[in-house]
Amino acid sequence: MGLCALFAVLATGLFPAGAVADEPQPESPKVELVLDASGSMSTRDIDGQSRMTAAKQAFNEVLDSVPADVRLGIRTLGANYPGKSKVEGCKDTEQLYPVGQLDRTEAKTAVATLAPTGWTPIGPALRAAGKDLAGGNATRRIVLITDGEDTCAPLDPCVVARELAAEGTNLVIDTLGLASTDKMRKQLTCIAEATGGTYTTVSHKEELADRTKQLVHRAADNTVTPTATEGTSTCSTAPLLGAGVYTDRETFAEHRWYRVNVADGQELRASVSVGADRAVNNDYGVLLRAVTGDRELVRGSDAGSGRTDDISTGLRYAWPASGADTPASRTVCLELSNSFSAPAFVKTTPGLPVELTVGLVSSPDNASDVASFGLGRGWIMLAVLTLTGLLAGLLWGWLTRWRVAVWRTN
Amino acid sequence: MRTTRLTAAALAAAAAVLGSAPMAAADTASPSPSPSGSVAAPTEAGTSFRTATALQQGQTATATASTGDYLYWMFPATAGQNATVEATVTLPDSSARHGSATWRLDVYDGLRRHQACAAGHPSRTATAAAADVSLRCTLRTVRPWSEAWANDPLPGAYYVRLTVADLPDQDLGLAVKTEILATAKDAGGAKAAGGELAAPLTPVEQAGATLDPSAEPSASPSETVSEAPASLAAPDGGWSPGWWSDRWIWTAAGGVLGALAGVGGYTLTRGDRSRRRRLQG
Repeated sequence: MGLCALFAVLATGLFPAGAVADEPQPESPKVELVLDASGSMSTRDIDGQSRMTAAKQAFNEVLDSVPADVRLGIRTLGANYPGKSKVEGCKDTEQLYPVGQLDRTEAKTAVATLAPTGWTPIGPALRAAGKDLAGGNATRRIVLITDGEDTCAPLDPCVVARELAAEGTNLVIDTLGLASTDKMRKQLTCIAEATGGTYTTVSHKEELADRTKQLVHRAADNTVTPTATEGTSTCSTAPLLGAGVYTDRETFAEHRWYRVNVADGQELRASVSVGADRAVNNDYGVLLRAVTGDRELVRGSDAGSGRTDDISTGLRYAWPASGADTPASRTVCLELSNSFSAPAFVKTTPGLPVELTVGLVSSPDNASDVASFGLGRGWIMLAVLTLTGLLAGLLWGWLTRWRVAVWRTN
Repeated sequence: MRTTRLTAAALAAAAAVLGSAPMAAADTASPSPSPSGSVAAPTEAGTSFRTATALQQGQTATATASTGDYLYWMFPATAGQNATVEATVTLPDSSARHGSATWRLDVYDGLRRHQACAAGHPSRTATAAAADVSLRCTLRTVRPWSEAWANDPLPGAYYVRLTVADLPDQDLGLAVKTEILATAKDAGGAKAAGGELAAPLTPVEQAGATLDPSAEPSASPSETVSEAPASLAAPDGGWSPGWWSDRWIWTAAGGVLGALAGVGGYTLTRGDRSRRRRLQG
């Protein structure tokens, strides 16, 4: 067992854990809280308080707990125009506190001035919030807190959300609903689904504060920001990818090609997820193929049905080390296709979000023997070995006897 | 008669060695997870493959979430292990719910390939009155190596996705508490296999870099090779499954038996001769 431990130490030594530490520090994440200040926020149904009061108290708590490296902004909708004109009411969205380093006192003062006033222009507010967060390559998150559906048709906030998500590489919209009407829930779940965000129903003050805190902290999690790429319809024009995480958009029934250079002694590992960011039909699938020239090397596929956020698959393929001084290299084409389909009323552009990861690991895998070190196991093996030993013993005995007999006669 | 007695003693010894083989098998089959006290169990879940929260084997992670969220975790498993994922969802108050809901646990390997549950109940329907629902999925034994075309479980990360698969629409967004535990048992010598993967199937954790398409295929692969991620710790004992299995005992016992049988066979032929000599004498 001592040897075992030694092996373990050797193995951990081979894969240094701190390898990522050398990479440049990622940009600090940006979050914008979008708060509904429409007239209906004065309804007193959250723990006996008005929705607005509950939201203000929750905001104070959230502002106190914002992680130091998060750049936070606040935007309101329907806070200023109390009139009847839809045109005016639907323009009513204002940045209450700019996205940047947070001054808690200032932000709290700004929130304290809010009073439930006007319309519910969710679509325009989201669009404006998208602009507030634009620029740079940071993780971006919008937390939308509202109590009613958008009153500014025909601009569908869900479409706005999908456009925003398609523009940038890493924007998520989480929604919190302060009421529980069917229409509001449908709209907010649609917005969340379109960006890979979440939807929460809030009926208590603590729920609102806790969930918002959780979402702001989620933004602070340091994860890799994928690089945007654009696959093409043929391999020859496809983008050449190195190891890493990429995003792309692929519409229904589309095929997208990517290329990767793989040298001798390397193993290519690719995995892909295609997201269902809108209403799709019940059955769906994904197929990823690795092709060189006319030959398909390997494929990964999966299919599913029912409620899902994405469907994923992966593949791997290794080339043995050549032993030459300059190892040969070849271009492998990756073809991604999906079999999602959608009802006729669903917009097909922009395409479904795709996340592609490409990994290249050196020293190809070693099949050796299917048995562990070629060792045997089981009673039949013991019987065979014993029988072989017995036969060998008998043979040896007889041989010796025969030799002695021959020697004697001579 | 001395030799016969010796042979009998040797056979008895061999039987003792053999008898110990199944014992050793039972020994290695004891559960390996040992909750590591050094790292606190996660209290948050990820919401996509990329943001999945890393777990250790034997750690009970918790997360609060909304009904309808897709929650992701990942845990390490290595060759020769039978990994089991258990999840418990504490449902919202039944007065707030409108009907039964089906919850589902999906497990994916490090390449995001869906993995079959060999045992357990990865999907269950909770009635409108139920207070919680528990799900379980036991994976096939993790192989140390497989062909590129196979979907066998391999050493590396395993993603767990927990979500509600079917529910009344009105119940979306209600708060739930979830608890998840990944454990692994040693599958024993019967499943000990050979071969080795180039590296465990761990997630790629670096931003992509699109290369100049006109560039010649690069002959210096070191620049693009992905590194092992920092977030996912190797399981206890490392990614490499180690060299020990009870196959060593079986094989050694076979060798001993063979040798003894050889000696036995030899003495049989000698024994005949000595008797003949005595008869002649």
